[in-house]
Amino acid sequence: MDFEASQPIVKSEFIAVVLAGFGRELQPLTSNHGDEPCPKALLPIGNKPMIDHVLAWLEPSGITDVLLVCPTPHRRSIADHVGSDASASFPSLRIDLQTYGDPQDSSFGTGSILRTFAHRIDRDFVVLPCDFIPPPSLQLTTVLNKFRMESASDGSILTSTWYEAPPQADKPSGDEWGPHASPTSIVWDERSESLLQIEVPDSIARKTDDIEIEMSLLSMYPRLKLTNKLQDSNVFVCHRSVLELLRKKRRLESLGKGFLPWLCKINHRRSKKQAYKTLLQPYRKMPTLANALKNSTLNEPGTVTYKEEDDGRITTNHGPSTRVGLIVHKAGDGIAARASNLYNYLDINRRFLEQASQNQTGPPAKVPLVDAKAQISVDSSIGQSTRVEERAVIKKSVVGRHCVIGKMAKIVGCVILDHCVVEDGAKLEGCILGGSTKVGAKAELLKCVTQAGFEVDAGGHYRNAKLEISDWTTAGAYDDEESDEDEESGEESDDV
Amino acid sequence: MSSEQPHQTPQQGRESSQPLRSPKTMTKAERRELQEKQRAAKASAKASGQANKPATKQPEGGGEKSSGKPSGKQGSGGGPSTQAQTLHQRRGSRVGGDIPRLGGGPGGNIVSDLSSRSINPRGVRIFSHFGLQQKSGAGKGLIHPAVVRLGLLFSNFQITGANARCLATLITFKHVIQDYTTPRNNTLTRHLMNHLSAQISHLVAARPMSVTMGNAIRQLKVEISGVDIDLPEQDAKESLCEKIDNYIQERITVAGQVIAQSAGFKIKNGDVLLTYARSSVVEQVLLQAHKEGKSFSVYVVDSRPMLEGKKLLAALTSAGIPCTYLLLSAIGSVIAEVSTVFIGAHSLHSNGAVHSRAGTALVSMMAKQHSIPVVVCCETYKISETVQLDSFTKNELGPMNGAFSIFPISIPRESLATENTANLEILNPLYDLTPPRNITAVVTEVGVIPPTSIGTIHMALGRMI
Repeated sequence: MDFEASQPIVKSEFIAVVLAGFGRELQPLTSNHGDEPCPKALLPIGNKPMIDHVLAWLEPSGITDVLLVCPTPHRRSIADHVGSDASASFPSLRIDLQTYGDPQDSSFGTGSILRTFAHRIDRDFVVLPCDFIPPPSLQLTTVLNKFRMESASDGSILTSTWYEAPPQADKPSGDEWGPHASPTSIVWDERSESLLQIEVPDSIARKTDDIEIEMSLLSMYPRLKLTNKLQDSNVFVCHRSVLELLRKKRRLESLGKGFLPWLCKINHRRSKKQAYKTLLQPYRKMPTLANALKNSTLNEPGTVTYKEEDDGRITTNHGPSTRVGLIVHKAGDGIAARASNLYNYLDINRRFLEQASQNQTGPPAKVPLVDAKAQISVDSSIGQSTRVEERAVIKKSVVGRHCVIGKMAKIVGCVILDHCVVEDGAKLEGCILGGSTKVGAKAELLKCVTQAGFEVDAGGHYRNAKLEISDWTTAGAYDDEESDEDEESGEESDDV
Repeated sequence: MSSEQPHQTPQQGRESSQPLRSPKTMTKAERRELQEKQRAAKASAKASGQANKPATKQPEGGGEKSSGKPSGKQGSGGGPSTQAQTLHQRRGSRVGGDIPRLGGGPGGNIVSDLSSRSINPRGVRIFSHFGLQQKSGAGKGLIHPAVVRLGLLFSNFQITGANARCLATLITFKHVIQDYTTPRNNTLTRHLMNHLSAQISHLVAARPMSVTMGNAIRQLKVEISGVDIDLPEQDAKESLCEKIDNYIQERITVAGQVIAQSAGFKIKNGDVLLTYARSSVVEQVLLQAHKEGKSFSVYVVDSRPMLEGKKLLAALTSAGIPCTYLLLSAIGSVIAEVSTVFIGAHSLHSNGAVHSRAGTALVSMMAKQHSIPVVVCCETYKISETVQLDSFTKNELGPMNGAFSIFPISIPRESLATENTANLEILNPLYDLTPPRNITAVVTEVGVIPPTSIGTIHMALGRMI
């Protein structure tokens, strides 16, 4: 009997890098609860932590190695979660948890994170944000297959995924919780499914009405499409050599908003291509199918990217094609979303409820601790061990675990995290309550977000407010329209 | 016809008014209605997830045409009697696992495109015995990533053509062998064979293997089994890679050059040549002849859906050869002016038949009728031991949409017939068979031979494959 673990004959092809960010845009939900942090990755969507959704999407695609990167203060909570029942539900994933820098240092963008951990990434990798919720119709395997095919046939170096934003009909009006995400314009080519240019809203001296398209780009791709309806999912499948390029460009902090637009420019600017050609070459571990492609009957003559010289070197006709491919996911096939700000978060939860209510065949099972006289609509989701007292009305809401909902409470369209207490007679509409929030009796909250551990006093009325612990401790007057928008609107870094 | 036609029954009353009349007394139309209802009921019962029942006997209304089997069996064309039905069904079940079944039977090989076909139980019977290949999963962990990529390239028709596919396969297998390490308590010869077999089945699942791939792999297996057991692993791997390189060099690259030379003798100044679709060998022949300074013109005949001729046209015109491009339907108008026809082959069979891109048979037949010599350019490694008499038993259906993106984007997709609809089914066979009587000569690297001697080549050279 062979006791030694046999070396795998085939090394796995990809490593997944899951970036769990701080979640600044989801404050106050992600602010500290007392001293404990509430990581964004563990915020539940449909009563399942966000990170579980990402890992569940990752698993069927056959990737086994996962590098999970989180801010240092969150390490313990995430390690607990990953080590406990998450690993049981994802048996094939080997999750390696790493932390990075000082969370208050807002200049730590996704690009810097990848640079820091470049030594742990030795093959082609997939970058995933922790807040991307894919629809069931989009498989990670599809994205991976596209990358595999394109990098083998014409040397594409990165495949990005863009999705059509969900229809705007049900967006809440107004900016109660901070500004909406502004749409980014991109230029892409439909025939070859390549991403050509990303317009970055540059705050410095920008002529906001002009988009410059270079002639070299136009001559390579005469038929372009310009759209601002697509949003970046921040899911990138990259060739290993992209990391080398990233190392060179230290100034580019953010992957999606800084590095990627720059990368798109390499393909059509000959000078840049020459400069970076050597960086891109040595990592092609896959066999070059140049000879085969030359003989292929459907091959376009003259666009063969590789040419074997007489002395065995591989030189190129036009330079290696450093194309950035993209996959466009239409809204009609299922809604994808990123829980990057509070609106999206609420939206995604609502969508999960709709899906769950559609999937449900019969009446919801009788849950103990839920009083028989409580009215819970079919499209709500109640977590385990939650106690709902009689005559409570819950509609279209997600209620977390271990909550207590008092008598006659009315909860409509809310997301309530774990361990909350809503006392009798309280009315909540369109709110997001952080963990362990306590809402006093007969309080009324309309479209509020509370920090974890906040206590709303009995009879308090709040509307469109972000309620944070600091407000509570001051015990001063509670204004309407209180918001910390100045913190949010100035942010340039992209949060994952 | 087994059931009797009750001609003497008057056309009394509609069926709906007397639903309990025995089928024998119903009119033909009524029996058909009844059958349709039963079939619809069965289909809906199936859709609610019932187990797959074997095909039930149709009610005795066997007089109608096309009483399909509601178990989802393909192909209920023609007007079978009940005996023919059961016979067909039995034959169908013998043919094996690639018959699609609604709801997934033990064969398990549900082909996604065909499921849309089987909605219509009166589907087309022709070619129903092979369907489109299903894309296999991302690999069971043992599939080398290079092989995964190759499978994707195959199934998306990025690499097409017998030579290209074989080259790609061999290059990839060289890579696989280089990355391979023998596990403990195993010998290289035995375990590598198993390892490669797993990779091969992945490729076959992506797209059926071509004869060239098959021959090359067979040769590779012979070499592997001949590896000395005492050889250290690295040496064994290197020798295998070297053998693969030699095979590519001898039987593909150099063979192509020799064929270009020999076929070049058949081209004289002022010739008008004709070729069909795109063969890498014929392309080499033409380019070589042009480089030697001969002046000739070429008719490039092309057909949908692959439209490979366009790529050949681009290659020839950029070299400076005067060309004319036409579709297959126009060949009658130009064939009289042609002096020689050059075609390529996917494979040659022992009876002299040429298995090649669909449409080649037509071209060679036309040429023969006009007494124009038809020259097939083909390396010896494309020779297959089998005998083939028609293009129905062994063929491949190409994808009907997407993969060959031939229509300009400006044409709205809705106006094109790219999907199966209720009354329209699209079949796209990729190959056809040219009988030996239409072929004048076959140019191989070992000489110019008549087609009927193809089966003797290997024997004459004293080699196995």
